[in-house]
Amino acid sequence: MDRLDRLRGPVPPRPHDARAIAALAANPGCARRAVLDAAGVDKDATAAHLGYPAPFGQSPFAITRGNAFESLVKESGCAELLRLLRELLGLPIPLAAYTDLGDVGGNPSAQVRHSHTRKLLDKAARDSDDAGTLYDHPLLRLEIAGHSAYLEPDVVAFRLGGRFHIVEIKSFAVVDGQAEPDKVAAAARQAAVYVLALMNTLEELGHDPRRVSHEVVLVCPENFANRPAATLVDVRPQLAVLRRQLARMARVGAIVDELPPELTFDLAPDADGVPTRPVAELREAVRGVDARYAPDCLSTCDLCFFCRDEASAEGSTDLLGRQVRDALGGVATVTEALGLADGSLTPGEGQEEIARLLRLADRIYAEVG
Amino acid sequence: MLEISGTPGNCWYAPGVSETLDDLEERINALRREIRQAVRARESVLARSLRAELRSAERAWDQALAVHEPVYEPGDETGGEPGHGTAHGPGRESAHERGDRHEAPGSLVPVREQVHQALTLLGVPAAAKMIVAVHAALRAGSLKGAQLASLRRDEERSFRTSPFARPYYLCAALTDRLSASRGLLAVSTWPLEQRVVGPLSPRVDFLTTAIRVAEHIMRMVGAGEQAPPSAQRLLSRLAHNIPGAAPETGRYGRGAGLHLVDAGTARGGPEAGALVVDGFPGSDPATVVKAARAELEVHAAADTAARAEIAGRARDRLQDAERLFGGTVLGLARKEASR
Repeated sequence: MDRLDRLRGPVPPRPHDARAIAALAANPGCARRAVLDAAGVDKDATAAHLGYPAPFGQSPFAITRGNAFESLVKESGCAELLRLLRELLGLPIPLAAYTDLGDVGGNPSAQVRHSHTRKLLDKAARDSDDAGTLYDHPLLRLEIAGHSAYLEPDVVAFRLGGRFHIVEIKSFAVVDGQAEPDKVAAAARQAAVYVLALMNTLEELGHDPRRVSHEVVLVCPENFANRPAATLVDVRPQLAVLRRQLARMARVGAIVDELPPELTFDLAPDADGVPTRPVAELREAVRGVDARYAPDCLSTCDLCFFCRDEASAEGSTDLLGRQVRDALGGVATVTEALGLADGSLTPGEGQEEIARLLRLADRIYAEVG
Repeated sequence: MLEISGTPGNCWYAPGVSETLDDLEERINALRREIRQAVRARESVLARSLRAELRSAERAWDQALAVHEPVYEPGDETGGEPGHGTAHGPGRESAHERGDRHEAPGSLVPVREQVHQALTLLGVPAAAKMIVAVHAALRAGSLKGAQLASLRRDEERSFRTSPFARPYYLCAALTDRLSASRGLLAVSTWPLEQRVVGPLSPRVDFLTTAIRVAEHIMRMVGAGEQAPPSAQRLLSRLAHNIPGAAPETGRYGRGAGLHLVDAGTARGGPEAGALVVDGFPGSDPATVVKAARAELEVHAAADTAARAEIAGRARDRLQDAERLFGGTVLGLARKEASR
């Protein structure tokens, strides 16, 4: 891990949160992100120093709205949540116990809270009758490339028939049974991180990790009111992607080994924390690792504007989104695609098929226009 | 507005607190002392609220002296129902207009008194949000959530300065770890069992809240009064999360087979159909009480045992102040020791 420390420079690694881990799963092909995250580099500061500060992070209004909705669901010992679970999963009436794992008697350090969570989860997994049902504010831990990240599901893990479920509370509306697919996907990815962390915790404690349900309870406001409604979301696909991505981060050594040994993303901050590293040098360093830009990066990655600028300078087809890029398989740049379309460029080996399609499209446009 | 019966002019101060002239003088002295300390500690908010209390205490003293009668004596304040349905109770002070008081009715009573009223009505530890909702719905009060923010800390400071100087304190509910439960307020005169929070207690307290609110509405209706729409709304909101209490019971029991109360009973009842709030069928208080009691019975035994156990531990291990405001110091010390 010396190598990763050298890449980061003499600063403590950035802790990962569930959002960041979920974002990793969103773009598994990006080596740049994998290396920077594995090394725990402060991507926000890097982007700002490069001159591409990302206006990143959730809007304060969205955060307030999310918190208000969450407190509504959790009010009075999770009264709303109990109703939803009774309706959705047939939770028996006597199971209504509520345990606040955030309460550790005035010492809120992550270690104390995590060990308290482990202790109570262990107890819950052991005796099936006497243990609690709803656990609020649990603090889970997930190993990411050698570092442990503490994750706090804003969410409640609860026990039903010996299985643990993750409950994810989100404030986007489900209108007439439909929600925005992007948001549901993001919520599912985030919940998958918690499911994985809970599975690992149970496994460490010597229990069967399959006791964590891969079906997550997603609680959202229903229609145009603020009344919560619950749906089950299967997060198995997200879990698979996440596992693969985390395994890849553990093997990030392979990518790192191919990088020049003197490469570092150190910002060389002075005593006041102001970066002193020459921008051109840092730019070269970041460019040294390949990125795979996609328009979705704009909502998940701090370096998005830097990568977008790089992609547009190269005229890369990445800019046009994943579908177009995949359809133009083997054609790297927009100029190349245009050249193939108007026939000014001879298709190389393996490009004949895509060139034929592009020419067809060009002819249709010419006829219509 | 209700007319006041009894001794006019002195009953508006500190309902639920029985004080004679001697008590009042002692209290005025104590308050002056507290104000001095608060000013010295630059606690302007606390000082302001104490000054308001002092003023009302002085006024009460004037009036008590004038009529040569002891100040208004309420019923048992732990009883949970300080005189609703009668002319007693805090709601009616506003009817009593004196020349020097033309403010909004809610602002006359100190915040802690209003919170005390709401808590006494509920009889269970409650979060600030619930206290505000109950007070607004049943007492037509003007309590704001922000006013409650520093209440518990102020009370604790007051208690630690001069223990048991006030007839009651607004204190914390104690958790399983004997620390103060986050956000819950309780009254110091309650038995410890009522103030501790076991795993099932949040649910039990929620059901009890619903029962108390429903009973209060029933009493209002019984006394020939129209329950305010805000009270009906609060009841409907609570009933919504109790199986068998909401008007559309059909949604419950699907899959779970929960039929604590017959759908027939819940829907039926000639008056149930008549209850309409904001164009929606409202909850029938009697049904809510019945449904909540049914679920309460399921949890009662386990909850009582857990509470007794926690309360026993709290009695053994905690000092007076910690018993009221939570043993954080103790918890920390234990943790240090175990390291």
